[in-house]
Amino acid sequence: MLEARSPLGTAAHFDLPGITLREAAGFTLTQLAGEEKALKKACGKLPAFGKADVQEAATSFRIAPSQVWVVGAAPGKLAGLHVTPLSSGRTRIALEGARARALLAACAAVDFALESFAPGQVAMTGFHHTPVLIHCTGEDTFHIYAMRSFAHSVWGWLVDAAQGL
Amino acid sequence: MTSFRRLSQGGRIDRGRPLNFTFNGGKRQGFAGDTLASALLAANDIVVGRSFKYHRPRGVMGAGLEEPNALFTTGKGGTEEPNAIGPALELRDGLAARSQNAWPSPRFDLMAVNSLASPLFASGFYYKTFIGPFQKSWMFYEPFIRRAAGLGKTSYAADDVRHETRNAFCDVLVVGAGPAGLAAALAAARSGVSVVLAEQDFELGGQLLSGADAALEAWRAETVAALQAAENVRLLPRAVVQGIYDGNHAIISVGGTALESLRARSIIYAAGAVERPLVFENNDRPGVMLASALRSLANRFALVPSQRAVLLTNNDSAYEAAFDLAAHGVAVTVADLRREISGALMSRAAGQGIVVFPESGIAEVIAKPDVRAVKLSGRHAVTIECDVLGMSGGWSPLVHLTAHGGIKPRYDEAIAAFVPGAFASGHFAAGACNGVFGSRAAIASGDAAARAALGHLGRAKLPAAATLPEGEDLAYAITPVWNATQGSKGKAFVDFQNDVTAKDVAQAHDEGYSNIEHLKRYTTLGMGTDQGKTSNINALAIMAGLRGVGIGDVGTTTFRPPFTPLTVGAIAGRSVGHHFRPTRRSPLHDWHQKNGATFIEAGLWKRAWYYDWAGKTPQEAYVKEMELVRHNVGLSDVSTLGKIDVQGRDAGEFLNRVYVNGFAKLPVGKARYGVMLNDDGLVLDDGTTSRISETQYYLTTTTAQAGEVMSWLEFLAQCHWPELDVHLASLTDEWGGMSLAGPKAREALALALPGVDLSNEGLPYMGVKDITFEGVPVRLLRLSFSGELGYEIHCPANYTEALWEHLLKAAAPLGIKPYGLESLASLRIEKGHVAGLELDHRNSLDDLGLGKMASATKPFVGDVLRQREDMMAPERWSLVGLELLEAGKTLRGGSILFAANDEIKGHGRGYITSVTWSVELQRFIALGLYQGGLKHEGEEIICAFPLKNEQVKARIVSPMFIDSKGTRLHA
Repeated sequence: MLEARSPLGTAAHFDLPGITLREAAGFTLTQLAGEEKALKKACGKLPAFGKADVQEAATSFRIAPSQVWVVGAAPGKLAGLHVTPLSSGRTRIALEGARARALLAACAAVDFALESFAPGQVAMTGFHHTPVLIHCTGEDTFHIYAMRSFAHSVWGWLVDAAQGL
Repeated sequence: MTSFRRLSQGGRIDRGRPLNFTFNGGKRQGFAGDTLASALLAANDIVVGRSFKYHRPRGVMGAGLEEPNALFTTGKGGTEEPNAIGPALELRDGLAARSQNAWPSPRFDLMAVNSLASPLFASGFYYKTFIGPFQKSWMFYEPFIRRAAGLGKTSYAADDVRHETRNAFCDVLVVGAGPAGLAAALAAARSGVSVVLAEQDFELGGQLLSGADAALEAWRAETVAALQAAENVRLLPRAVVQGIYDGNHAIISVGGTALESLRARSIIYAAGAVERPLVFENNDRPGVMLASALRSLANRFALVPSQRAVLLTNNDSAYEAAFDLAAHGVAVTVADLRREISGALMSRAAGQGIVVFPESGIAEVIAKPDVRAVKLSGRHAVTIECDVLGMSGGWSPLVHLTAHGGIKPRYDEAIAAFVPGAFASGHFAAGACNGVFGSRAAIASGDAAARAALGHLGRAKLPAAATLPEGEDLAYAITPVWNATQGSKGKAFVDFQNDVTAKDVAQAHDEGYSNIEHLKRYTTLGMGTDQGKTSNINALAIMAGLRGVGIGDVGTTTFRPPFTPLTVGAIAGRSVGHHFRPTRRSPLHDWHQKNGATFIEAGLWKRAWYYDWAGKTPQEAYVKEMELVRHNVGLSDVSTLGKIDVQGRDAGEFLNRVYVNGFAKLPVGKARYGVMLNDDGLVLDDGTTSRISETQYYLTTTTAQAGEVMSWLEFLAQCHWPELDVHLASLTDEWGGMSLAGPKAREALALALPGVDLSNEGLPYMGVKDITFEGVPVRLLRLSFSGELGYEIHCPANYTEALWEHLLKAAAPLGIKPYGLESLASLRIEKGHVAGLELDHRNSLDDLGLGKMASATKPFVGDVLRQREDMMAPERWSLVGLELLEAGKTLRGGSILFAANDEIKGHGRGYITSVTWSVELQRFIALGLYQGGLKHEGEEIICAFPLKNEQVKARIVSPMFIDSKGTRLHA
C-alpha cells in the first residue's frame, strides 16, 4: 500500500490555554448524490440541514438538497445514488477548549454561542475566503472540514486568530 | 490670557497615578482618567495645532469626538497614527503626541503666511484658480495640491499594531452609555436577553461624567455596577459603532485595534448629542471653547479657567456650565443672545454671583493668539477680560447611525435640531440622540426604548418602568439665534476643521451652490475627520437664511460610515502579510520544496516553476527541462488542473449541451478534448473529459478557470436544466495529478506499473484506464499537453506524493526528472496548444482556430451568440504562430504586431500572447493573435515592444511548430 500523507501532516498541533488544534486525519468521506427518496433509503433517514446524523458507523451531513456527506463507513445499499469519494479532498481539523467558540467567532460570521450552536449542529460557512464545514461534536469540541489545497492557509489563519484572542 | 488651574480635589482623575507623556517632544505629566486634551490644558498648552487652510493657531474646542481642532499624530514609525482626537484620547503612560499642520511649532508656524493670502482661499478656490491657463492645467496642479492637502501624515513603515477582527451576536445592541444607554441596557439586561453596550469613552456615563449632580452620579455608579455584574451583558468601552448596515449589522471599532462585526436582533440608539458652536468673528481663537467642554473639564477633569470666563449662548444649557464654574470660584459672565431668559435661571445666576447680559453677542474677541478679553455687542457693549470664552449654540442629536440605512433625519423646530426621521424595524432611539434632553428624561426614555425592544423580541413579560433618580432636570429652552455675521475685521468660522467661514457660505450661495450637497463640495464644509459634527447645523441655518427657507427644507448632507476616522489597519484586520489572501498548495508541495523547486504564484496556487537540477535561473532551467521532455522523459505536477466528477443518467446530454463538440457518444474508456463557451459565445475554457462509465465522466479544466467552470456548470444544472439527472462534485482537491511526458514515457510508466498493458492497443492515444496500484485507485489518461508521448496519472491526493516518488524511483534508470510550470507552458507553445493567455474571454472558437470542433447537429451554450456579425467578421484577430527572424534578438509577450509597411503607432493588428525559446527550432517562437490570422501565413511582420523601444521582424507560421502529423502522440 502506498503511504498516505494527510493535507497538514501528522505533526500539525497547536496549543494555547483554552485552545487545542490538531489535524484529525485518517477519515473516510463519501459524497452521496441523488434524489431525496434514494438518499433516504440509503441513509435510513435524511440528516436535517444544519444537524449531523451521528450513528455508530458513520456521521452524515446534509450539504445540499440532493447531497449528503458520510464520514465513516458509507451505507451498503446505494441504489440510485451517485458516489464520489472525497477522503483526500479535505483536511479535518479538531478544535477543542474553553476558548474554542471565541476562536470560531474570530473567523466566521456564525453565532457560535452554545445555545445557538449546540453539539450535533453543523455550519457550512467560510474561513479566510474558503469554504468550511464545522461540526460541533461536543460542548467545547469541533471538527472543521476545509479544502485540502487550502489546508495550510486555514490552519495558519486559525493559529493567527487564536494568538489574538 | 487663556490659562487653567487644576483643582486640588474632585473630578474623575486619579491623582495617585501620574502618567508621563510628551507633546512635541516636551515632557508633560497628567493623571489616569485624563484625556490628552485635558492633560495638555492642565499644562497650559493652549495652542495645540494650526488650522488646515489658513494655519491659524488653534486650541481645544470640544469635550469629545466632535472636536474639530485638537488633532494629533501619535506614535512613531510602525505605530504612527494621525488625527487622534485630543479630547477623546485616553491619556496613557509614554504617549508621544505631536501637533499637526504646524512647523516648526504650533505657536510659531511658518505656513501662517497663508493667512495673508486668505482672500485667495475663498470658496471654490481650487476650482477657480487651477483651471487655467491651459486645457490640462488641473492635471498639472493636482499633485501639488494633493501634497499640501490632507490632515496629518502617516508613516510609510509597516503597521506594528496587531488588528483583530471578530464576529458577535446579541439580542440588544445599545449604542452609547450615557443616561439613556445605561438605562436601556439595564432594563434589557434584567429581562435576561443578551446585551452589548458600546461606548466610545473609556468610562461609562456619557454626559453624567461631566455633571455635578450627586443623585445622578449615584444612579450612574449603581447602574454601571449592576451591568458589570450581569452575565448577559457585554460592556464595550472605547468602542465606536462606526456603521449600521442591513440586517441589524453593526461595525464597531473596539480600542482602536479590533473591528467587531455585530449582528443584533434589536438596536437602541443612545448616542447622545454634541453642542454646537456659535458663529462670530474670531470664534476660532484658542480659549474659545464649547460651554459643555468647560463644564466637562471642571467636573470630570478638575480643571477650571484660572480666573474669569465669559459664556455666550442662545439656550439654557450653557447655564449649567456657568453654575459649575462659578461653584469653583471662577468669575462668570453670561452673554445671552436671547431676550427671554427664564426667571429661575436669572435668580440662580444672581445667587452665584454670575452676571448675565441678555440680548448680547460678541463684537470682538481680543486674542494674542489666545483669548485675552471679549467685547460684547448688543445692549451691553462692554469689554470683559477673561481666560476663556465658552459658547453654546444648542445641541445636535447624533443621528448619524440612524441615517446610515438611508433614512433622512427630520428637523424639530422645538429644539432647533435634526432628530431621527424614522427607524427600521427593530431599531429604537432614546435620550438626546432622539431629541430628549435632560438626564432624567433620558433615563426614562432609555428605559422605555428597552421595553419597546423587548416587545420587538417577543418578550411577553416586560419589566416595569424604572424609578428615576431624585431631583429635576434643568429645562432646555433655545431661541434659534444664529448670529452669523462677519464683518471685515475677522473671520467667523462655521467649519473650524476645514476653515470655512460664514462669508464662504454666503459666497457659495451667491455663486449658485445653494444646495447643501453642492455647498459641501464647493466649500469642503462638513468634510474632514469630524465630518461636520459641529458645523452642519450652523451652515444649514446660514444657508436657510440666505435662501429664505426653513432649515428643514435645506436638509442635511448624507450621513455615511464610518462615524469617526478608522485606520486602514483596522479595516484590513488580520488580512495582512502572509494572510493577505489564502494560498493553495498541491499535494506535492512539500516534495517540491524539499527537492529544489522554485515556486511561482498561479492565481492562489503556489506552483513549482522550475527545479534547481536544471539551472539557477528560470531562463536557464526551462530550456533544460524542455530538452528533457523532448528527448527523454520528465514528470510534472498537474494537480492544480480543475477536475469535476459528472454523474447521472443525463451526464452525456449535459456535457453535449455544455461543450461545443459531442460527448454523449464518447465510448467508455476514452477521453476527448472539449471546448466550452460562455453564453455570449466567447470561449470560456478547454480541457479533456473522459468517460468512466455510462453514467460518469471525469471532466478537467484549466487551472485558472476551475472555479468559474464549476460554478457555471452548477448554475446550468440547477437553474437551466433541473430536469436533467446530473450531479457534479469538484475533485480538484481530491485527486492529485502528474504529467509523464517524453519519448521514453511508456518505458518509464512500465517500470513503475509493471503488469499494466500500456501498448497502443491496451492504452491508445486518448485512452483512459482505471487501475489499482498497491491498494490505491489510479487513473491513467493517455493525453499530451507537450506534444510528446504522454500520460497523465491521477490518484487520490493522500497518495499522490507516494506515487510520484515511486514513479521517479522506478524510472530513475532512464534519467527521469521533474519539470516545472515554465517548461510545461513552453512545451505547449511549441505544440500550438492554446492556454490561459489565449483563453482570455475575448476570443471566439474561430479566433483560436477551433471553429471546426463546433457541432452542427446539436445545440450548445453560446452557439447562437457566437454567430453574431462581429464574431464572424473575417478580419478578426485570430491565432497565428510567429518565428523570430533576427538572430540575437528576442520576442516578448505583449508585443504589438504590425504589417511590414505599417506605421508603428497605436494598437496595431494584434499582439503576442505567449513566447518561448524553441528547443526544437533553436529560435524564439510565439503564439499571437493577428488580424486575419493565418490568411497571412508566410508574411514577414513587425513585433513592436514600445516599453523597451524594440522592434523585431518575425514570420507568420502555423501555430503547430512541431510534429504536425501527431506521430509522437501516437507512438
